[in-house]
Amino acid sequence: MAVRQEKMEFSIPSDFKFLGAVDAAVQDLARELSCGQRWINDFSTALVEACSNAIEHGNQYDKGKAVRVVICLNGHRLIARVQDEGNGFNYDDYLSDATPPDPLSERGRGILIMRAFTDELTFSRRSGGGVCVELVKDCEDGSPSSQA
Amino acid sequence: MKVNQREVHGAAVLELNGKLTGGPEAETFRELFKTLVDQGKRNIIINLKKVDWINSTGLGILIAGHSTVRKAGGELVLCNVGDRIDSILYVTKLNLLFPAFEDEEAAADHFRKETE
Repeated sequence: MAVRQEKMEFSIPSDFKFLGAVDAAVQDLARELSCGQRWINDFSTALVEACSNAIEHGNQYDKGKAVRVVICLNGHRLIARVQDEGNGFNYDDYLSDATPPDPLSERGRGILIMRAFTDELTFSRRSGGGVCVELVKDCEDGSPSSQA
Repeated sequence: MKVNQREVHGAAVLELNGKLTGGPEAETFRELFKTLVDQGKRNIIINLKKVDWINSTGLGILIAGHSTVRKAGGELVLCNVGDRIDSILYVTKLNLLFPAFEDEEAAADHFRKETE
């Protein structure tokens, strides 16, 4: 039996008003899995956060720059890649700091949220500039890993 | 993000509608919280019934509101928090910062008991 594979690619301008489209895309694709609404929402929350990060820290709200999103359904696994077109930012500092921010701090929870709602989280620098974030989440509840 | 403002038993209610994502709209909210405090409002209820989801910068808006109201001697509470937002509050431990109630009446009751 073949492992089910599907892929969706799209770009959004660097504007938070397009984050709803990202959520809608995940909701549609993840319905192919039988992992439940909570699982879908968790993955979408992480992906929306990655896109928010790309808009704010990567592209710095420059509407002339896009955020590219690729979502792959691979068997029981959902993988998303988010790429910005910015000058890059020092994500190592964010990743190495596992301390939760001060409760009254208005910032600094993005990676915490992405980590909490995914199984794997990877940051890398793109050769042409910008940052690529990869988010992976496995569905453990009997997803349809093969196509009839 | 649309905001419907009203009063319930003396508490100011902000009913939000849409996605709480922060960014440029954060400044609008900052002004709104300041205006409420300047008007003497100390008990603020944020009704999240019509908010689908929130991101980290959206959380920043709520924290800014909390700080503004707290500095003025008041309290900001949440109500009608859906599962999705509840999960985010839990993993960020902000559930410890924001008292949350089932609905506006329950939130208003909380303030009533505080003043008794």
